[in-house]
Amino acid sequence: MLLEVRDLHVEFHTRDGVAKAVNGVSYGVDAGETLAVLGESGSGKSVTAQTVMGILDVPPGRITAGEVLFEGRDLLKLKEEERRKVRGAEMAMIFQDALSSLNPVLTVGAQLAEMFTVHRGMSRKDAHAKAVELMDRVRIPAAKERVRQYPHQFSGGMRQRIMIAMAMALEPKLIIADEPTTALDVTVQAQVMDLLAELQRELHMGLILITHDLGVVADVADKIAVMYAGRIVETAPVHDIYKAPAHPYTRGLLESIPRLDQKGQELYAIKGLPPNLTRIPPGCAFHPRCPMAQDVCRTDVPPLYDVTESDAERGSACHFWRECLHD
Amino acid sequence: MPEQQPYEPERAIAGTGMGGQMDLGASEAVTLEKTPGGPEGTGPQDKPRSLWSDAWHDLRRNPVFIISALVILFLIVISIWPSLIASGSPLKCDLAKAQEGSQSGHPFGFNGQGCDVYTRTVYGARTSVAVGVLATLGVAVLGSVLGGLAGFFGGAGDAVLSRITDVFFAIPVVLGGLVLLSVITSNTVWPVIGFIVLLGWPQISRIARGSVITAKQNDYVQAARALGASNSRLLLRHIAPNAIAPVIVVATIALGTYISLEATLSFLGVGLKPPSVSWGIDISAAAPYVRNAPHALLWPSGALAITVLAFIMLGDAVRDALDPKLR
Amino acid sequence: MTEPILEVRGLVKHYPLTTGILFKKQVGAVKAVDGVDFHLDRSETLGIVGESGCGKSTVAKMLVNLERPTAGEIRYKGEDITKLSGKALKSVRRNIQMVFQDPYTSLNPRMTVGDIIGEAYDIHPEVAPKGDRRERVQQLLDVVGLNPEYINRYPHQFSGGQRQRIGIARGLALRPEIIVADEPVSALDVSVQAQVINLMGRLQDEFDLSYIFIAHDLSIVRHISDRVGVMYLGRIVETGRDAEIYDHPTHPYTQALLSAVPVPDPEAREYRERIILAGDVPSPTNIPSGCRFRTRCWKARERCALEVPALAVPAEFRHATGPAAHDSACHFAEERQVVPHEADGDGGGHGSGPG
Repeated sequence: MLLEVRDLHVEFHTRDGVAKAVNGVSYGVDAGETLAVLGESGSGKSVTAQTVMGILDVPPGRITAGEVLFEGRDLLKLKEEERRKVRGAEMAMIFQDALSSLNPVLTVGAQLAEMFTVHRGMSRKDAHAKAVELMDRVRIPAAKERVRQYPHQFSGGMRQRIMIAMAMALEPKLIIADEPTTALDVTVQAQVMDLLAELQRELHMGLILITHDLGVVADVADKIAVMYAGRIVETAPVHDIYKAPAHPYTRGLLESIPRLDQKGQELYAIKGLPPNLTRIPPGCAFHPRCPMAQDVCRTDVPPLYDVTESDAERGSACHFWRECLHD
Repeated sequence: MPEQQPYEPERAIAGTGMGGQMDLGASEAVTLEKTPGGPEGTGPQDKPRSLWSDAWHDLRRNPVFIISALVILFLIVISIWPSLIASGSPLKCDLAKAQEGSQSGHPFGFNGQGCDVYTRTVYGARTSVAVGVLATLGVAVLGSVLGGLAGFFGGAGDAVLSRITDVFFAIPVVLGGLVLLSVITSNTVWPVIGFIVLLGWPQISRIARGSVITAKQNDYVQAARALGASNSRLLLRHIAPNAIAPVIVVATIALGTYISLEATLSFLGVGLKPPSVSWGIDISAAAPYVRNAPHALLWPSGALAITVLAFIMLGDAVRDALDPKLR
Repeated sequence: MTEPILEVRGLVKHYPLTTGILFKKQVGAVKAVDGVDFHLDRSETLGIVGESGCGKSTVAKMLVNLERPTAGEIRYKGEDITKLSGKALKSVRRNIQMVFQDPYTSLNPRMTVGDIIGEAYDIHPEVAPKGDRRERVQQLLDVVGLNPEYINRYPHQFSGGQRQRIGIARGLALRPEIIVADEPVSALDVSVQAQVINLMGRLQDEFDLSYIFIAHDLSIVRHISDRVGVMYLGRIVETGRDAEIYDHPTHPYTQALLSAVPVPDPEAREYRERIILAGDVPSPTNIPSGCRFRTRCWKARERCALEVPALAVPAEFRHATGPAAHDSACHFAEERQVVPHEADGDGGGHGSGPG
């Protein structure tokens, strides 16, 4: 396993009390594999990724337990100095908002070249040539000329390509993409997602795709981890989960999205709201919104059960996963 | 004013940095459901909290605020009722006691004219507080009205006002004071206040203008306009309450500097003149014989420094409490 | 046919680009909306889709009179409202209300929910007598599915979905006939979007509302709309009933847009045909000659650069009946199936579930 997160717990100290953002998350991704982490705002999907990347703001954040194994090494035990070497060179991150992630007063070429001068000790001239090559690679037209332009002179889609180029620059083994296409238009989204998937195949990287969009997940992911209130509630290969979800939250999500090929009357809506992280309901965190909830759900926290009926590796944190699967 | 794009250098260099948004759902947190999904659907409910009550919550716990507020409160009380702590008259002087040091009943000693330094320092607070408060009020009202209207309506009026503020910013304050105030013979606080208002309003007007322009672009202003709200309703009900915070902060900090400006002008002989009582006058009078009677200089200067510092610290504390970005 | 409740003809909004501080000189224009026509029938929903910068939000603002059009007409029950002012404008405004995109910025943080919704009655006192207002506001809260007791709370105490309900209640306060909703759910979480969409559907029946529903999400637009207009760079390029657009698109842009939408069905990955458009949307300050889509169109020929295609039933389909015969502004319109149909079995849908 390239990256393995084990039983991670992260808290935030807020004015309203301790917000338990991540409560025992475990997932893994192999080289060449795409893991989609699906969840709504407040599900803990981004906090987990920030912890893996080592860019969680501490404080207010606090990692209370868990391991992040990257090629067998626990990153959480490394010194900041050593972690910095891992970041960028071994694993890189792509953010939703490319405009605020790029320095507005430097040309994109200078920012790309910096990766090579700082991490690889290249000469400025070589680094510049590399920058042009990278921009070509992410298919930015007229790379030779545009390398001298500033971030604001690029469109949203082009800026996201530059972010991808920057993440890919040192050919890391793992890419974490946090909602990489959410801010883009549909037609541009498709371009960027295609590019990302293609580069991943070429470089045989692991990709963790963090998103709330079930459509994007279906298009590119190999396996999915669905998060709710800081926990993984279901994990499965992508085909299985869309065919037959084994957790009522996943099922609710799938049913509540309007579809292009159907004109429905009333959409299925999950009742209620995601919980306040400072006051996560006891038992199963989803029980107040769950149509299948029984008494046991209010008291017992469901472990991630093995979904034994499936050939593939599947898990569901629902006491009634069997009923859900067959319903 | 265009919003500042956050720029994190490390993110740009190594493709790392904080994720665009903290995936914590803190603002989503409070669950107020009409039909709670279960018995645990809602947690304890928060009291209504506005920006001001949030700020107050912060301020009450801030020692800087408490100390500066107590100092200011004390100053206000003694400037209204100086006889509470000083029994004598600041104008009752006995040349025979000139430059004498501390003695029973006269803890601060006597100045060059043989006046009691303690009594004069206490009575001097009145001038300082009066000038500070009245000048700030004048500046705040004039500046925010002009700046607010310019920001709201824009157009030619705005352009003209902006150029006028530029001109005022170019006037050196002390030089302006020397020239303008030297032709006025009235020995009251009013010419000094008038001068400060004249030179101070552009600062507030600039802040107010920017703040109104930001607030004006909010959707809720558009929403009220779509309902058919008049300009005065938009300004008074929707824009002003949301734009006033920066004006208050800047005005509080400016108050301290106005007090020191009054002292400076009095020191230079163009502000208040004897027989008025002012820290500036006393500092000016004590300066020539500082070697023989340092106490006569020390006490009024100390009072001035503490007063100015208290207002600036108060402004700082208020700014921190009102800045939502620091939460 | 009855008269449409709203009719838009030749709507144009150009924002001048100027230089100079005191003496301004026009050096060009951002052509945000550049000749838009459509109509809206009573109790109907017209969806307007397009990518960012296509002008859809500017159209919305002009409909509720937040922006004055540069040219064109907006007829409400036959009366052109673009020239109105004062009292007449105010009374028209009562009947055309707006729901905003961002529930976090569209509610004044310094006002209670009661004040936010009740403000409509302060501005239009004739709608509700003073003593009656509180009760009316509480009724509205109930209608949108919020507890009427929350009338004294502030917006920040609510979640995004609940705030959007408050925004909808404000839009309903004056009992308008038309609601213009500009991306009303795009800022919300997936599981909450469905709640708000269902609410809007229910309110439409209950209050006999006509909707202009603006969004970039084609799936949501299909779900709620009777008719759809696809906008590109300030113009509507194709319009028709929902099945005509989604199942029988004839404009290449619509086809590309539809094919790019991710489908929540991993099985579709294999057989789905996707049209990936090259490049970006051109700047609205510098719109291509002829057909404005030609710079990204794979079918573009010389004629496209010379002749502006009209929004009408294309010649090929003029004598045809059937779903392909709808307005499409393309010289070389042809039908193309791009939305994969649920072939066999379900791809995740489990019926409609409980309402």
